Amino acid sequence: MGQIRLQGIRKSFGALEVLKGIDLDIAEGEFVVFVGPSGCGKSTLLRQISGLDQPNAGRIHIDGRDVTDVGAADRGLAMVFQSYALYPHMTVRDNLAFGLQNNRMPKAEIASRIAEAARMLEIGHLMQRRPGQLSGGQRQRVAIGRAVVRDPTAFLLDEPLSNLDAELRVSMRAELAALHARLKATMIYVTHDQIEAMTLADRIVVLRDGEIEQVATPMELFNRPANLFVAGFIGAPRMNLIDAAEAASLAPGGLPRGAAWVGVRPQNLRLDDAGAELKVDLVEALGTETVLHGQLASGTRLIVAQAGQVDAARGDTLRVAAEPGKLHFFDDAGRRVEP
Amino acid sequence: MTMQGEAPAGAGNPAPQQAPARRSIGAVLAAPVGLLAHLLDGPMRFWQRLAGRGGMIAFFLLPNMAVFALFVIVPLGINVAYSLSGGTQLFLPSRSFVGPENFARLLTCDNHLAPATCRDDLFWIAVWNTVRFVALQVVVLVAVAMTTALILNRSIRARGFWRAVFFFPVLLSPVVVGLIWKWIFQRQGLLNWLMVEMGLDPVNWLTDRTWAYVFSVGISVWAHAGFYALILLAGLQAIPRHIYEAAEMDRTSPARAFRRITLPLLWPNLLVVIVLALIRAVQVFDEVYVLTGGGPGTSTMYLTQYIYETGFASTLRNPGVAAAASLMMGGVLVVLTLAQIALTRWRDRQ
Ligand SMILES: Nc1ncnc2c1ncn2[C@@H]1O[C@H](COP(=O)(O)OP(=O)(O)O)[C@@H](O)[C@H]1O
Ligand SMILES: [Mg+2]
Repeated sequence: MGQIRLQGIRKSFGALEVLKGIDLDIAEGEFVVFVGPSGCGKSTLLRQISGLDQPNAGRIHIDGRDVTDVGAADRGLAMVFQSYALYPHMTVRDNLAFGLQNNRMPKAEIASRIAEAARMLEIGHLMQRRPGQLSGGQRQRVAIGRAVVRDPTAFLLDEPLSNLDAELRVSMRAELAALHARLKATMIYVTHDQIEAMTLADRIVVLRDGEIEQVATPMELFNRPANLFVAGFIGAPRMNLIDAAEAASLAPGGLPRGAAWVGVRPQNLRLDDAGAELKVDLVEALGTETVLHGQLASGTRLIVAQAGQVDAARGDTLRVAAEPGKLHFFDDAGRRVEP
Repeated sequence: MTMQGEAPAGAGNPAPQQAPARRSIGAVLAAPVGLLAHLLDGPMRFWQRLAGRGGMIAFFLLPNMAVFALFVIVPLGINVAYSLSGGTQLFLPSRSFVGPENFARLLTCDNHLAPATCRDDLFWIAVWNTVRFVALQVVVLVAVAMTTALILNRSIRARGFWRAVFFFPVLLSPVVVGLIWKWIFQRQGLLNWLMVEMGLDPVNWLTDRTWAYVFSVGISVWAHAGFYALILLAGLQAIPRHIYEAAEMDRTSPARAFRRITLPLLWPNLLVVIVLALIRAVQVFDEVYVLTGGGPGTSTMYLTQYIYETGFASTLRNPGVAAAASLMMGGVLVVLTLAQIALTRWRDRQ
């Protein structure tokens, strides 16, 4: 249960084409994350899956059944909204029970499901409160609880953590991962935060301007980005991109045929007396890592991330080189070229 | 509200660092005001030192309070004086003091439900007419306003146009409302012309007790529904769309969503609308008076009309009784208004 197939999904708002033909297969129990810059159509795609919105073209199948023309109520999915969208006038208990009552579920069953979800999400002590009396993190738990009690075919989560403060976000992230491990339900999770994507996903779908740029596991995405956009989007600090003509100074050795750009992650550059000269203009010392920003003699900007602490200061000139075998190559259309 | 610090220093003075190269027309027009403010600055500061902060507040409120007193408090006092006096004289000093006699006359009945058994049967006819009017009008008005608001809240074509259409009658003067509908309902009016064209017999709408009552309710609903629809529409639009989407994901039927989500979330607004509508319905007068003149007979004579006719229009005018009746009606309105204020406070706390 929870296998979802999207075929050629297109969606326009007036003249604005937001989804330009999305094909995607999501396996049962998979945790899939849609990631991409703000406005690229992640929420819109999720809404097409939820049934809250209808695509202009394309088909949606859930567990083999074509649900394109089925309303949101009857797709068996549950959604967690960025704004939580809790029923403000109902207690937490009623918020959880409301959807179950709609299905005419026996009272005892409702009570036991709520108890189970409350235990899992540690919201038992909040049952008689209203959403207005809860903190952001507590509301988030209730919103997730409202989805959990439904025992849906799949969970749809639209930036569920983006309204939480940084610390809470990290701990809720871990809890969501644990929740998925425990429920083994399909989850589709929308975020613009690549760290969330990398830590939570079985597979990441990178979207840009309504099109899929790449679908892959987090490590595959990191190690073999399919194009310049993905290369730049995944990984922090961003991957350095260097004109192929200039790359020799950093990484001696031949280039694969057709390579126009060479990418190297900041973590794959190291200080090396035989390397190219880098004039440092910014040093970010994080303790566990030091990030050096600077310019090559040609003016090309470069970011170098060194594990641990580096004794460097603004204005210093260092020599850096790329670790062998850690280079990425892209042709002049931005597509990956295998070495 | 907390005070947001001091007003910018020298608010009335020109601020040289911000002076634009070309002075706008507004700045030119404001210059004399600025000068005046500048001239008044010294005396005001002196005055404030004398009067203190509370004194200044009272000082600035004084003009408004004076107007309020002149046109509300004083007439209210005069009204009380009239209600305790007798005779047909209009000039207060030439009237005799009769104590609570006017109230006694209005309130004495063998059976309050049967106006014929009352000392002032017209008053009780008007009271019960008004009760009947209010009961039907408020229910229909709120239902119509609610339906209109729900429809206007949907993404229908030309929504702005429809909103204007439903709000338009609110802008009409009540007399115009009464006249428009009179042209439609009168013996040789539009409605009868249509009925004759369609081969039906004309009906004398406004001389039929039931029709006159129904139309008095109908036109006042028509004239006011747009206003309440707008209040309800604002309430509906304050309900986040995501809540309805969450309800849809929760498999909520539209009827249940209305009952369990829309109504409870709209309830504060709805209560305010109901009480406001009650207050205005009790005071019903102008448009109905123009339409039916209170007739046929006394069947659409409501309280305000009774007061008006008793005090000013009848040949044997009795300002004392009219004043007493208006004070009693005022008492009812005060209760309703207090309820409305309490409800508004409660809503704003929600
Ligand atoms: N209901 C709508 N009407 C018109 N434009 C919309 C609507 N919903 C989304 N859009 C537009 O579609 C684009 C993608 O929006 P969205 O899917 O919300 O992006 P995100 O990836 O940030 O979630 C944006 O340009 C947005 O303005
Ligand atoms: Mg979004």
